[in-house]
Amino acid sequence: MTANTSILNLPVQGMSCASCVSHVEGALKELPGVENVAVSLATNKASLTYDPSRVSVGDMARAVDGVGYAVPTAELTLEVRGMTCASCMAHVEGALKEVAGVTVAVVNLGLGTARVTYVPGVATASQMKRAVHDVGYEAGERSQGADALDRERQAREDEIKRQGRNLLIAGLIGLIVMIGTFYDMLGPFKAFVPEWLSYKWVIGLLTTPIVLGPGRQFFTNSWRGLRHGVTDMNLLYATGIGAAYGIAVINTLFPTAGFGGEGATFFESAALLTAFIILGRWLEALTRGRTSEAIRKLMKLQPKIARVLRDGHETEIPADEVAVGDLILVRPGEGVPVDGTVTDGYSAVDESMLTGESLPVEKKAGDNVIGGTLNKTGAFRFTAGRVGADTALAQIIQLVEDAQASKAPIQKLADWVAGHFILGVHMLAVAVFIFWFFFGYRMFFDPNSSFILSPYKLGEIGVFGFSLLLSVTVLVISCPCAVGLATPSAMMAGTGKAAEHGVLFKSAEAIENASKLQTIVFDKTGTLTKGEPSVTDVVEWRSEVRSRRSESDFRLLTSDLLRLAASVEKSSEHPLGEAIVRGAEARGLVLVEPESFNSIPGHGVEATVEGQAILLGNRKLMRERGVDFGGLMPQAERLEAEGKTVMFVAVEAQPAGLIAVADTLKDDSAEAIRRLHTLGIEVAMITGDNHRTAEAIARQVGIERVLAEVLPQDKAAEVKKLQALGHKVAMVGDGVNDAPALAQADVGMAIGSGTDVAKETGDVILIKDDLRDVVVALEVAKATMRKVKQNLFWAFIYNVLGIPLGAGLFYPFMALVISPELAGLLMAVSSVTVTLNTLLLKGFKPSLRRENKAQRGMGMASSQLAPAAGD
Amino acid sequence: MEHEQIERAVARRSAALYLPISIGAALAFWLAASLVGGYPPVAQIGGAVWVGILSLIVSMPMVTARVKRRAPAPSSRPA
Repeated sequence: MTANTSILNLPVQGMSCASCVSHVEGALKELPGVENVAVSLATNKASLTYDPSRVSVGDMARAVDGVGYAVPTAELTLEVRGMTCASCMAHVEGALKEVAGVTVAVVNLGLGTARVTYVPGVATASQMKRAVHDVGYEAGERSQGADALDRERQAREDEIKRQGRNLLIAGLIGLIVMIGTFYDMLGPFKAFVPEWLSYKWVIGLLTTPIVLGPGRQFFTNSWRGLRHGVTDMNLLYATGIGAAYGIAVINTLFPTAGFGGEGATFFESAALLTAFIILGRWLEALTRGRTSEAIRKLMKLQPKIARVLRDGHETEIPADEVAVGDLILVRPGEGVPVDGTVTDGYSAVDESMLTGESLPVEKKAGDNVIGGTLNKTGAFRFTAGRVGADTALAQIIQLVEDAQASKAPIQKLADWVAGHFILGVHMLAVAVFIFWFFFGYRMFFDPNSSFILSPYKLGEIGVFGFSLLLSVTVLVISCPCAVGLATPSAMMAGTGKAAEHGVLFKSAEAIENASKLQTIVFDKTGTLTKGEPSVTDVVEWRSEVRSRRSESDFRLLTSDLLRLAASVEKSSEHPLGEAIVRGAEARGLVLVEPESFNSIPGHGVEATVEGQAILLGNRKLMRERGVDFGGLMPQAERLEAEGKTVMFVAVEAQPAGLIAVADTLKDDSAEAIRRLHTLGIEVAMITGDNHRTAEAIARQVGIERVLAEVLPQDKAAEVKKLQALGHKVAMVGDGVNDAPALAQADVGMAIGSGTDVAKETGDVILIKDDLRDVVVALEVAKATMRKVKQNLFWAFIYNVLGIPLGAGLFYPFMALVISPELAGLLMAVSSVTVTLNTLLLKGFKPSLRRENKAQRGMGMASSQLAPAAGD
Repeated sequence: MEHEQIERAVARRSAALYLPISIGAALAFWLAASLVGGYPPVAQIGGAVWVGILSLIVSMPMVTARVKRRAPAPSSRPA
C-alpha cells in the first residue's frame, strides 16, 4: 500500500455465483486508482485498495451498477448550522464528498440542510458531522416530521436571538462611538454629551468590546475555515473589521503614521462596520425561515388526534398510532387524520390545502378521504387505508422537501461564482492596495476629498492609510452573501406556492425547465379525454335529421332505441356495450333482461328483448344479415368523421337507428388548451388512435398539432423528435402508461394521480385530475424563475456597482470614496433586498385562481344585490 | 485518531508552503517600496504586513486544499 491509498470494504448486492464475483472484480479493477480487488461472495463485499485522489466510492458504485449489481446506499439529512453564503454551501458539500463512502451530497442554504447519499458501513453519520465541523460548521442528524419542524424553528429562533443580542450590543455601543466621534459637530447638543466621550482612547475602549464580542464570530469562523483550506464571507468581514480596527489603533498610538493624524479615529469604522454586518445577519435570520413556510403549513395540517372506533367504543388516540383498517369517526369541523375510504355517513370535505380545489368535495360511502383535509358539514366514518409515511400528506411533504433540497442549473452557476469569488476578492484587494500605494495616491489624491455621506475630509491621510482604506472597502463591499440566497430562497417559495395549488414539483430543475417550455404534448386517452367511452349520439331511423338534440329531446325521441340496445348489452363486458348501458342508466331508462343473447365476435351481438329480435353491431354485421342502412349512411359517416364509433341497431331485421360512442373530453380540457395558447405555448396531442379520430378530438379542444397512430412505446420517440427541432417539450400524461415519454420530455407532468404521489413518474405531479393545473404549474414556474433572476440581479448589482466604487475607480473624477462601514451597510441591504423580494412571491396567485376568486366575488355581490332589486 | 494525525500533517506541510509564499510577497512589497523610495517607514512596513496578510489569506486555502488532496486518505474499513 502506498502513502496515498486506502483500504475499503465495499458492500455489493445481487451477486449469486462465481461469475458475478469476476464481473464485479473486473469492473472495479478497470477503474483508475483501484488496486488489489478481492470480491467475496460469502460476505457480499469487495475488499479493495484505492487511491482516493483518483477514484471515489461513487465511481466504484457506478462501476458495480454498470455490470448489473448494486452497492447499497442510504440517505441521510443533516442539519447544518453556521452557513451564511454560497461559498459555505460549496465548502460543506466538498467536505462531505471527501468522506469515503459518500456518493452524493447536496446542501441547501435556505433550509440549512445537507442531503447525503452514502454507502452504509463505509461512511458513518459521525464521520460526516466531523467533516462538516472541520470546515467550520456544525452538523446534526435531522429529525423527522413535527419534531424536525420544532427543532428547525428552535434553531432559527436561537439564531435570531443570538444575532439580536449581538446587534443590540454592537448597535448601542456603536451609536455612542458615533456620538463621541462626531462630538465637534453636535452643536447645541454638545451640552448633553460629556466631552470625555470624544477622547480617542475612550472611543477605542468602547469599540474594542464590539470587535471582540459580537464581531468575534467572524474571526473564529474564518480561522476555522482557513485552517482547513476554505474561505467564506466571514473571512471578508474579519479582514475588513480587523483592518479598520488595526488602522484605528495605529492611528491612536502613532498619529503621524499616515492614517489621518490626530483628527481621525477610524474606530467608528470598525464599530459601525461590525454593527451593520450583524444587522444584515439578523435581518437575514429573521426573514429566511419565512420562505419555507409551505412545508410548515403542510406539517401543521396533520391532525394530532384520531377518534377511533374499537370494539364499539370511541377512543381518542394519537393520529400517528392509527393502524391500517381502523374505523375512524370524523365529526363536523374536525380534520381527517389519515387516508382511507368512507364506510358510512355523508359530508363535504375541504381538500383545498392539498389539492388547491377551492370548493368542498362531497363524500359518501365508497369515496376516498385524504388525511390532513378538513371535514365541513356532516359526520362520517371511514376505514384507514394509508397511515404514517404512506399518507398522501406525508408523501407531499417529502416531495416538496426533496424539491427544496435540490439545485436548479442556474444555482449551480451562481454557486460556482460565489465559491470562487472570495479568493478573487482578496486578490483584487492586493491589486487595489498596490495600485494606490505605488501609483494612484501620487497621481490622484486630493486632500479635500471625502467619504460618501460623510462630512469628514480625508485631509492628512497618507499613502498607506489611503491605499489600505480602499483595499479594506473592496473586501467588505464584495461579499457575495446575497448570491447564495438568491436562487434557493425563490425555489423554496415557488415549490411551496405550487404545492398550495396542488402542483408538486419534484426538483428545482423541473421548475427551471417548466419556465422555458415551448411545446406541451398531451396524451389523449385519460388525459384530455375521460378515458372511457360514452354515448354521444343516438339517431333513429325515422328521425335522422334530428341527430343532435338537446338532452330532453334526446330522451324523448331516442329512449326506446337506447333502452333496447342497452338491454341487449346488459350483461356485456365489452367497453362499447358497457358505454351503452351506462348511457341508458344515466338517462334513467329501465332495462330488461334479454330473453336470448348471442355474441358474434368482431361484429356485435344479437338478442331477443321483449319478444323482438335485436341486432347490434358494425356495418359488416348488417351487410352480412342483409339489413340496408342506406338512408342512415351519411349520418354514420359524419359521426365517424367526428372520431366516434358508430353501432348499427336493427329490430326484426329492419334498420332502427345508430348509436355513436366516443371517449369524451374532460370538462376543463378546452379551457386548459386555450389558456396555454394565451401563454404562447404550442400544444400537441399524442395518441394511438387513427388520424381521423385524433383530428376530430383535437379540433374540439383546439389543438393544432396531432401525433396520431403512435404506439405507446413510440411516444418517447415522438417527444424526442420535437426536442430535435429545438423545442423545450413537456409531456402530460398519466404517470404509469406514459412513463417513457414523461421521462424523455424536458418536463414530465403526471396528471390525475389521486393521492399516491410517490409512485408517480414525472418531474411534476398534478394532484387533481384537472388539466388547468398544467397552466398553474407553468405560471408558478415562470413566476419563480422571474424571482430567481430578480434576486440574482439584486445580489450582483450591489457588487457590480460597489466594487469599482470601493476600489476607487471613480475617485479621480469624483474625489469621493466609500467608507468601510457604508460598504458593510450596502451588503446587509443586499441580503435583505433578496429575501424580501422572495417573500413577494407569497402573494402570487395563478391566473385561474385569481379569475375564480373574482367570479365568486361577483357571484356573491349579485346574490347580495338580488333581494334589493326585488324590493 | 488517524484522521487527526493526517489533519495535523496536512496543516504542517501546508504551513511550510504558504508561510514562505506570504513572507516572500511581503518582502517583495517592502523591497519595491524601498527601491521606489519616498515612503515613510510606517507605510513601507505597514504595506508589507498588509500584503503579507492578504497573501496569507489567498495562499493558505489554496495550498492547504492542494496538500490535502495529495495526503493519504484515512482507511475506510468499516468498523
